[in-house]
This record gives sequence, C-alpha cells and structure tokens, in this order.
Amino acid sequence: MTRKIEDIFDNCLESIFKGESIDDCLKAYPEQAPELEPLLKTSLVFMQRFSAIQPAPEFKARLGSQLQAMLYAKQKKAERRARIPIWQRRWALAMTAILGFLLIGVGTLAASAYALPDGSLYPVKLAGEQVKVTLAFSDIDKAKLHIQFAERRAGEMVEMARQGKGNEIFMLTEQVANHLDKVYVMEQPPEVEEKGPKMLAPTPTPAPSEGAEAYSKGRDAEELEMALSQSRAKSLAALRNALDKAPEELKPVLQQAIEDMEEDYNKTISIIESGSSQ
Amino acid sequence: MSIEKDVVSRAIKGDGGAFAQLYEEHFDRIYRYVYLKVGNQAEAEDLTQEVFVKALEAIGSYKWRNLPFVAWLFRIAHNQVIDYLRKQGKVGKVVLEDDITLVSGSNPAFMAERELEIEELINNVKKLSPAQREVISLRFGSGLSVAEVAKALGKNPGTVKALQYNGIVALRKLMLGDR
Repeated sequence: MTRKIEDIFDNCLESIFKGESIDDCLKAYPEQAPELEPLLKTSLVFMQRFSAIQPAPEFKARLGSQLQAMLYAKQKKAERRARIPIWQRRWALAMTAILGFLLIGVGTLAASAYALPDGSLYPVKLAGEQVKVTLAFSDIDKAKLHIQFAERRAGEMVEMARQGKGNEIFMLTEQVANHLDKVYVMEQPPEVEEKGPKMLAPTPTPAPSEGAEAYSKGRDAEELEMALSQSRAKSLAALRNALDKAPEELKPVLQQAIEDMEEDYNKTISIIESGSSQ
Repeated sequence: MSIEKDVVSRAIKGDGGAFAQLYEEHFDRIYRYVYLKVGNQAEAEDLTQEVFVKALEAIGSYKWRNLPFVAWLFRIAHNQVIDYLRKQGKVGKVVLEDDITLVSGSNPAFMAERELEIEELINNVKKLSPAQREVISLRFGSGLSVAEVAKALGKNPGTVKALQYNGIVALRKLMLGDR
C-alpha cells in the first residue's frame, strides 16, 4: 500500500527532532525525496526560529517561587484539615456553613443560587451544595444530589459559553466528572479494608434474610439510572444547543466538553447498571 | 504506572515537588505556545502565569481521560489565550509589539537578526488557517508529538499530520514570497 506523503513527512520530522539529518530521511524515501527535501529544509528553519523564543529566566524563577508559595499554603491547609476526623470535619463544615449563612443572611444565600464560576458568590453556592450533601440522610440521597449538581454545572457551562469563557467551561467539565464519580464511589469505612470503588447503590445477590434490603437497593439503582439518564439528556441537549450558538473560537472547547461529559455519564450509568445486574 | 502518571498522581494529592517537576518540564513549551499566539512578551508572561495558577488550582480535580498531562495543560493555555484575545477584540489576530526583546546575547547584530527572523516567523504563522496555526504552534513551538497534539485538540492523528504537512507547504510559499 502506498503511504501518504503526510505520514512520510511526519516520519522524517520525527527523525529530525531526534537529531538525524535530512539526507538520512531522503535516502529512506528516494521516490518522495524531491517533494520532501524543500519542505524538510523549511521545517528545519522553523524549528530553529521557534527554539529562539525563550522565556526570561527571572520570570520563570519568579513564577516558580509564587507557585511554590501557593502550594505551601495549600499543604498547610490540608494538614490542618487532616488532624480533624472526617466525620467531625463534615459536621464542622456543615455547622460553619449554616452559621455563615445565618450571618450573611438568607438573601445572600438565595442570590448565590444564581452565582456563576467567575462570580464572588460562587464559593457560597458550592458550600451550600456541600452542606446539602453532608446533611442528606442516605447514600442514595447524596447520590441524587450529586446528579443534580452535575446537571447544574452543565447549566453553568451553557452560561459560560454564552459569555465566551472557555476555561470556565473546561474546569466545569472536570467538576461534572467529579460529581458523577461520587454517585458510585463511597468513602471506605475506616475499619474495613477494601480495594476498588464501592457502589452507592449496589444490588448484591440477595440472601434470604437480606431480601427486603436487596429489593430496596435494586430499586435505588433503578432510580439512580433513571435520574442519570434524564440528567444526561438534559445536560447534553443544553450544551448542544449552546454549541450551535457559540462563536467559532469557542466551539472546539464546547465540543470537547460535550464528548467528555457524555463519556462520564455513560461510564457512571454502566457502572450502576453492572452493579444492579450482578 | 508510567513515570508521568506517577508524577501527576502525586501532584493531584498535593505533592509540591511533583507539581514543581511538571512546571519545570512544561513551562518553556507553554510560554512559547502563548507567545506565538499573542506576540507580546509582557502579555505572554501574564498569560503563562495565569495558566499555571489555574493548573495549580485545578490539579486536584484532574481526571485521567487517556489524555497526557501536557494536553490538559495546553487546553488550559488555549482557552486562556482565546479568553484573552476575545476580551481584547483580537480573536484570529496576533499583534506584534514594536520593541521586543526575544533573545539575549552579546552580539547585537546577531540578536537583531534573530529578532527579525522571529518576527517574520510569527507574521507567517498568523497567515495560516486557525487549525494549521494551532498544529504548527504545538508541534514546532512546543515540541508535542502528533499523538499529544491530537489529544490536545480533540482531532485524530491523521488530521493532525495533514494539517502539519499543509501548514509547512503554506509556510514555505509565504517564506519564498517574502524574498
């Protein structure tokens, strides 16, 4: 089969990147050599010119120090958090948030419902969501909240697309994935050592004495599947609609977000399904 | 687990050394990519800074999607540049500053020649189609492999190779036309 000139050209480029000469490559492809030679010479000129663009070393060092300082602050915060047992941390977060909401007022909390990732009230919105999850009674309620929040993130992506903010769309895609992860991943109980993720709504083979519980868990899985399917349909429809209206420069990031999100929803649904069919 | 996956996994868990390693590895190529897009040293520095700060903030929620870390970083850089150009009303344009210092050295004549070459390079690259420009910047400017460029842009490797080939053909014509 005849190889495409693009493939041959790329092979030669790879060899040149690795330090081989243009002549070595031309010898390997004598038939294409007349076409390849001028293009490879142009490529070599461009490689040399591109490599002349160098950042100022003092800028690189300054930014490196700034990032290290930010990392250090993050680590200190994480260490402080790690000293508090997880259940205390969650309730402390919930109580702090409730107190905070009482202090800043119900109006602010209500206003935060409409906050967007680039807005000052957005952290209040996320804290409110965390409180809801913490206070939810059961794992299934927590899972449903995460589905609801994943869909909410998709709505925020639509608004960010309208405002032309590509990076916020990209970051929200990651947040959707994290919410969907939490639909089926549960914290390991401290006394039990298990490997791999645990289903929030598992449907193990029912033992006679566990019949009622298994029935309930099977129903939970069905409910989750349905909620996920509906959420997927709504989120993807909203994003596809946004894609149609988006400016050209934003379309690739939106398209990628749609593909990633669809993959994440499908993965979550298939895990729930496989759990309920066991 | 690959070395990169190990480093990224540690960075996700908040390991400062791992993040520093990723910064060292990718800083130059991100800067070069941004520079080619904005054509201005001060703005390229501001945007590169924003890219790494955003990456640091978001690394905790990084998801493995069969996507090399560098492709994730380039998506942040790409979006940051697009946001910036949109705010400036410069989408699709690259504006070169009048007085730029790109290369340092002790020979002024050599430096001036180099700077002219780079100016010519940026001017030619901006005449390519947006997709060709993106591929050429990532492949030549940032040294990404075809597979990495494909992942970063969400295109298949065959398309990337075709864009690369056609981009170089176009650049050659532009270079010859300049003389």
